[in-house]
Amino acid sequence: MRRLWVGVIAVLVLVVIVAAVLWSKNNRSPDQSSGPAQASAFKAVPSSSASPPDDGNWTMPAKDYAATRFSGLNQITPANAAKLQVSFTFSTGTTEGFEAPPLVVNNTMYVVAPWPNNVFALDLTKPGAPTKWVYKPNPAAAAKGVACCGPVNRGAFYWNGRIFLNLLDGNTVAVDAASGKEVWRTKLADIQKGETITMAPLVAEGKVLVGNSGGEMGVRGWLAALDAGSGKLAWKAYSTGPDKDVLIGAGYRAPYPQDQGRDLGVTSWPPGYWKIGGGAVWGWVSYDPALKTIYYGTSNPGPWNQQQRPGDNKWTAGVFARDIGTGQARWFYQSTPHDLYDHDDINEILLVDYPIGNGQRIPAIIRPSRNGFFYVQDRRTGRVLSAKPYGYGNVYKGVDLKTGRLIPVGGMEPVPGRAVRNICPASPGAKDWNPSAFSPVTGLVYIPHLNLCQDMGVSNANYIPGTPFVGADVKMYAGPGGNRGVFTAWDPVTQRKVFEIKEDLPLWSPALATGGGVVFYGTMDGWFKAIDARTGKLVWQFKTGSGIIGQPISYRGPDGRQYIAVPSGVGGWAGAIVSADLDARDPTGALGFNNAVKDLPKRVSPGGMVYVFALPK
Amino acid sequence: MSSLCRNSLILMTAFALLAGCDREARDVRGKPFGETVPGPSPDTIFPGGAPRGALDPRLAAYGRNAYAISQGQQLFIRMNCVGCHAHGGGGMGPALMDAQWRYGGRIDQIAATIAEGRPNGMPSWRGKLTNQQIWQLAAFVRSLSGQEPKDAVSARADELSNTPPETQTRREPVMPADSAQQ
Amino acid sequence: MRWRRLWVALLLLPSLGGCSGIQTSLGGDGADGASFIRLFTIFLVVCGIMYLLVVAALAVAIGRRRDGGRRALTVDNGSHHESSPLVRSALVGWGALIAVGLIALTIASFFTDRSAAARARHSSFAVKIIANQWWWDVIYTTPDSSKIVHTANELHLPVGVEAEVELQSNDVIHSFWVPNLAGKQDLIPGRTTDIQLLPTRTGLYRAQCAEFCGTQHANMALVVTVESKADFLNWIAQQRRPAFAPASPLELAGYRYVTTRECSSCHNITGTPAGGQIGPDLTHLASRRTLAAGTLPMNRGNLYGWVADPQSQKPGSQMPTIGLAPNDLHAVVAYLERLK
Repeated sequence: MRRLWVGVIAVLVLVVIVAAVLWSKNNRSPDQSSGPAQASAFKAVPSSSASPPDDGNWTMPAKDYAATRFSGLNQITPANAAKLQVSFTFSTGTTEGFEAPPLVVNNTMYVVAPWPNNVFALDLTKPGAPTKWVYKPNPAAAAKGVACCGPVNRGAFYWNGRIFLNLLDGNTVAVDAASGKEVWRTKLADIQKGETITMAPLVAEGKVLVGNSGGEMGVRGWLAALDAGSGKLAWKAYSTGPDKDVLIGAGYRAPYPQDQGRDLGVTSWPPGYWKIGGGAVWGWVSYDPALKTIYYGTSNPGPWNQQQRPGDNKWTAGVFARDIGTGQARWFYQSTPHDLYDHDDINEILLVDYPIGNGQRIPAIIRPSRNGFFYVQDRRTGRVLSAKPYGYGNVYKGVDLKTGRLIPVGGMEPVPGRAVRNICPASPGAKDWNPSAFSPVTGLVYIPHLNLCQDMGVSNANYIPGTPFVGADVKMYAGPGGNRGVFTAWDPVTQRKVFEIKEDLPLWSPALATGGGVVFYGTMDGWFKAIDARTGKLVWQFKTGSGIIGQPISYRGPDGRQYIAVPSGVGGWAGAIVSADLDARDPTGALGFNNAVKDLPKRVSPGGMVYVFALPK
Repeated sequence: MSSLCRNSLILMTAFALLAGCDREARDVRGKPFGETVPGPSPDTIFPGGAPRGALDPRLAAYGRNAYAISQGQQLFIRMNCVGCHAHGGGGMGPALMDAQWRYGGRIDQIAATIAEGRPNGMPSWRGKLTNQQIWQLAAFVRSLSGQEPKDAVSARADELSNTPPETQTRREPVMPADSAQQ
Repeated sequence: MRWRRLWVALLLLPSLGGCSGIQTSLGGDGADGASFIRLFTIFLVVCGIMYLLVVAALAVAIGRRRDGGRRALTVDNGSHHESSPLVRSALVGWGALIAVGLIALTIASFFTDRSAAARARHSSFAVKIIANQWWWDVIYTTPDSSKIVHTANELHLPVGVEAEVELQSNDVIHSFWVPNLAGKQDLIPGRTTDIQLLPTRTGLYRAQCAEFCGTQHANMALVVTVESKADFLNWIAQQRRPAFAPASPLELAGYRYVTTRECSSCHNITGTPAGGQIGPDLTHLASRRTLAAGTLPMNRGNLYGWVADPQSQKPGSQMPTIGLAPNDLHAVVAYLERLK
């Protein structure tokens, strides 16, 4: 009898051991919301065609076509980052919001200033980096009157010996990188209609991709491709209107039925509203050279008063995949149909090869969207594999993966005459334009973002070309916890937060990830911070002269050292109260931001300097 | 007639006569075919000495007129001024509730700014609004910084707010761009 | 004395004018209206009978000669008080009559109300009306948003079809009242109210704002056209078309003025650059029967007068007097007449 019992217990113990072994083999590594980052055993890796090995330069704002914003240089590590010191500085002479990263190619640094969009070429081989040339394009000053969120510029693009740049007044220019002479200038946007251009162009396969701004001005959004050699228009894809304007043809296959149909860009709007419906392309474009496909998102529909535009409002607040040669759409996914809160979808789109189990990887896009969800999609088809909230929100229930549709909570639609309170995330979303960075070393996405909620009231918006077409009063304030900004390290494979750093002020600066295991970002009151990529521990910080809303970069200097450069100049939508000297007594100023950052004028002043740091020799 | 009866009669007559007192004029047509807007703002420098002309009588007619200010308040929202200037706090355009005026803070200077447009992005509204509407808007814009008497401004805002309405802003000392009288 | 009675009778005669016409509560041209008129008639009859009985009793009381003690109705002996049996039975009968009358009125009222509520659940056709100072924005909504129709100050309804009218206000409290179709409902800013209309007779009816809403409240009317289903569908199809293009040089000049000058700041004309959203939609202005929310009949003279100087026709209204030059006025009116 006793022997029987011993046998049974032994068998049970064996079964438990085998089960535990099998379970741990099949399970992904568990989430830890604090403590050292455990990168999953199966990491996402940047798509190799879109992300070549680091050559020490920084030729485009996103570092590579896959938008990793990752520098492979590894001289700076968490151990030695505390020794970082200023190497040199450079003043642009302007005090508007400074969002563009400096570009570094062939030991020359190209600094791109906000309006009046001057470009400075600095010689990095000489001490103090003296100016080689200055390019002054002289854009029209009236354009400042139709630029919703500061007369900013999000960057230039170096390609084939030329610098390509968009001017605020709607021109795209090509400048010779060696001499600073303008090669060609093409007018694409019309400020009389309220259009401006603030985005950084993407240049690939001999095409310069440019999109307009003006979702708040009743413009019709578009993305155009110019020939890089001559500046002539190759194709133009609108974001609203009939299929022939949106370049939706026989090759278009939407991942979900609600995005497939005839002339949806007309039928999902009241008559005539698609002509003034928004869908501007003012954010980031990514490119896959293997599939010859560009990926980008479109802005909010106009006006903000949703009652005036019943219907799904295609093709706004969604992501397009297009063939770079012809512009024909391959697929479209609408992240936020019939947007209620200005949740654009123009945020950065990272191209990774994503593990789906059994050692397999598929070409995917991963992106933290403005509506608060971190999307993982198959980039061949647009199908959503996963969409999880990365910030606090109470207006959306989630994304139904069967239909692909975002499900709003309901009952919180702004209608005229009634204020809706405590909308989270607020209009700038869980994260606005400022892009995240991806480190292939840790496998994590480093997301600098927001924790804001808002009260919103809408009224009948009047359409007068060249004036705002909004119809909304907004008042923003800190979300739960009281911190207005948050820096999250996100594991895209487990779709979980690994660590987060709460910040008092909203985070409006992009992130930079480096091979040495250090991640950089800046705060709106001027602190430039370096954190350990695995733990989030602060390893170094420096107080710059003005708030940081611009992209930090890393490059290899002529002496072989690793340098970190960051623009410092507060402004943009979040910093308008400082850069434009607004009045905090009106909480609805700056489309609601006045209330969210009413303490900012006491903490920081406008500025326009580039700071460059390095370890001591 | 008893003294009570006589006294009541005198009192009632007196009240009836008060009805003839000056009520605020509600000018709906802008006599008779709309107002004109003055030329560009006078500069601070007058080579040879500042001219001492009389002030435009419309300053008083529109500036202290409750009807003009309330019509201006409606137009401010309907003509999308709120889209750039919010409710005085600014955004794309500068704040209007503070004491700084780039192009002059006197009502005729504001009216000229609205009609002409300005180089840094203020659109020109001549031909898109009637001149009377432009004067009404100018009167409202002045009231945003507390320049107008309290009995002429609206006590209510037309939008969501839990701060005092913008027309009830307390007046700050004004630093005029035009030294020729504010 | 006789003259006074004659004057009273003469003064009451005009009230009979309320019995017919395009704006009368006694029209009964809608299902609700008809049932309320039935109820009204019942009330009138019952109360009329009671009134006549009361008057008769009063006449008897006055006419009874005082006859000192003969057939007194009450006897008061100081020690006890006694009513005659006649009075007692009369009072009991009177009480019973009142009770029966009240019950009849209550039952009639209850059933009328129930039938109106039952109808409210079966509407198959939706219209939205947004009231502004001092005009009505009428929107025919459809699930397909690209087929939405905007018009102003005119409501077309197909006969025999229950219409669900959603009511909103952009500024102050107004009230939507079509006397012939019965039902009156407030439009309150910040809320959505609704009213159900089931017209039973084709024809033209005049609706009116019934809640004081400002200086031009009296001139805030709306023309309701009830027509056959076929006519209604024709009308809606025509309203869905974008505006007619100008056909003559004068109309072209008017088109240019309207789409680039003051008019386009407030008015929308679908198919043209004029996209203003705060005034009435003008896309099919010339197809309407009235101007300025029923203030003026639609004809060339009134169109000239309205465009030239709206403040003299409707002082205080939101449309400003622009002071158009004569050539511009001719061109603008020519173009507006094209917008059929």
